[in-house]
Amino acid sequence: MAATSMAAALAASLPAPQAAPAPAAPTYEAIPASMSKAIDIEAEIPLTCVQLDGLVVTKILKHSREAPSTTAHGLLLGLDLDGILEVSNSFPLPHHNNDDDDKSAKSIARYQASMLRSLKEVQGDDNVVGFYQATTLGAFFNQTLVDTQAIHQERLRHGGIVIVHDLSQTARGNASFRAFKLTPAFMDAYKKANFSASSLISHRLTFSSILEEVPLKIRTNPLLSSFLGAMAAPSTSSLTGVHPKSATTSALPPSFSVLDLGNTGLTRNLEQIAEAIDSYRTEEGNVAYHSRQIAREKLRADTYVAKRKEENASRVAQGLNPLPEEDISRLFKIPPEPSRLESMLLLGQVDAFAKSLESNASAGLVKMYAARASSGI
Amino acid sequence: MPLGPSSSAIYLQNTSSSVNAAPGRTPTAVTIHPVALFSILDHYLRRTDAQERVIGTLLGTRTDTEIEVRSSFAVLHSETSEQVAVDMEYHRSMYELHHKVNPKEIIVGWYSTGSNLNTYSALIQNFYSQETAPHQAIHVALDTGVEDGKSAGVKAYVSSPIGIFPKPENCVFVPIPCELRFHEAERSGLDLLTSTASLPSSESPLQPASDLEIFDQSLQSVQDMLDRVLGYVQKVLAGEVEGDRAVGRYLMDTLGASTDDIEKGGFNTSLQDTLMISYLANLVRSQAEISSRLALTAAS
Repeated sequence: MAATSMAAALAASLPAPQAAPAPAAPTYEAIPASMSKAIDIEAEIPLTCVQLDGLVVTKILKHSREAPSTTAHGLLLGLDLDGILEVSNSFPLPHHNNDDDDKSAKSIARYQASMLRSLKEVQGDDNVVGFYQATTLGAFFNQTLVDTQAIHQERLRHGGIVIVHDLSQTARGNASFRAFKLTPAFMDAYKKANFSASSLISHRLTFSSILEEVPLKIRTNPLLSSFLGAMAAPSTSSLTGVHPKSATTSALPPSFSVLDLGNTGLTRNLEQIAEAIDSYRTEEGNVAYHSRQIAREKLRADTYVAKRKEENASRVAQGLNPLPEEDISRLFKIPPEPSRLESMLLLGQVDAFAKSLESNASAGLVKMYAARASSGI
Repeated sequence: MPLGPSSSAIYLQNTSSSVNAAPGRTPTAVTIHPVALFSILDHYLRRTDAQERVIGTLLGTRTDTEIEVRSSFAVLHSETSEQVAVDMEYHRSMYELHHKVNPKEIIVGWYSTGSNLNTYSALIQNFYSQETAPHQAIHVALDTGVEDGKSAGVKAYVSSPIGIFPKPENCVFVPIPCELRFHEAERSGLDLLTSTASLPSSESPLQPASDLEIFDQSLQSVQDMLDRVLGYVQKVLAGEVEGDRAVGRYLMDTLGASTDDIEKGGFNTSLQDTLMISYLANLVRSQAEISSRLALTAAS
């Protein structure tokens, strides 16, 4: 299986992870006894935490902001060590347009392979551990995300993770990165490709149990920390008698955009909720239509069976041979039960939009009271 | 926002075109996106023991006089006492890969770590000038601050040939001003990094922080600043320090900010709107939750 071969490959490359940003992993030839517990070749230690490197944070930020649509996505590279998944690098994937799916999928695969090879040449990590996805207003539930993650979860060590970056929240002053993986229940249903009502009930699936969140930490390596410190530190101008505005300069002056009172984006948020609810209703209508169709077909089949039984009973009473039992499924085409995945995902979107609206509103409330208190009314 | 310690360097703008001056003007300013800087630092961390410095390609956009460096990637190279070699094939293929994702970004120059400009720098600069022709290539030297006696900082240069017969290995690196630039929306990401950078790695808080936590931190820093200002004003009043008029004016402008909007009943209207929205959001959420639960029970 792919997992074991990948583990073997990793084991072969383990003796020289001198470039890995792991503080606890010095250069060594063989796995020392102290490390044997931390390094699991067979991927047995479950993931407890995702650690995101500063470089990856800025890369995701830049790519998400610049991407033409809100669907910026890319691959995450790194290593896992003692239950902590260290994401140390990432690269964006080209934006694919849907008109030429097969061809673009191939070119993306080629792009991905050559990028990984190139990164390996300059001692970068080249072990794919997941992907990232940019979203707005917290609504990241969609079919593509679930599909991609489902593929990753089967192929990658530890199943891989998806990091979701919220653009609108970042613009409001709170850079938001969250790590997710699919829950086992959802994976099970996904593998069977069965999202009928009964399957949802047996897996106890709602939109909130599709993904489970993995705790995420940001890490800056010491070099980056010192560099950031040097950049943020104000430096005094060497000239005397300069304007106070230019007397001290810093590459990273403090910013107070968080303190802005304006509730921008609320309208957009409301609009998106309305849109999501509309599409949810359409989807529900579809499902209901299908269900009615199924019920009608079933009823017809049942009446047919009952009629045949009655007929047989009367024939037996008359001393005749009963008519042969016919295959009902061939006579009546009962359509398959509709998948409820789409409506579940849409519901998840509605919930996410509402959640971001709520948090936005409550933060605005706090700011308003703070402003009133400080202005002394 | 200049990078690195301020210097007394005067930036010369040589408008007189030299013998083989390239068309298009000499860039007079460079702005760098943080992601390019951080990639350089990461590359430096991952260098092999034998490497004293690392080099790579800078990608970005250029206007008439200004160059905006937006990303960078590492390039393999080797330096010995006799020769310098840059893996051009690698550089080309990597550029093509980057070009697929970001078609707008073109090669604008190269970076190296350390502030040592030598003959090899001139040779590499010569190579990159061919890549960026007909425009001039820029060189960004990033001091990591690891070596003794050198502080971290970034410097940008353009080159101009020197000597009666210009040779590729001889050139003058002319410093040009260099600034950090990023979009305002990315600011919070950098704040996140600076706040984690100041904490020991074991204590870094779990993500994502709530809006209120960020708000709290922000208020805290405002309070610290107010305390500093208060201390200064009290010192001036006590006659310990001589007051600066310009500072006084700035304080007056800043602290006298009007809160008319809030006072004139705007507060209540806004409060009602916000409460309404909050109520609506909660309603939608609970409806969504109920609906998903109902889907589970409907068939049974």
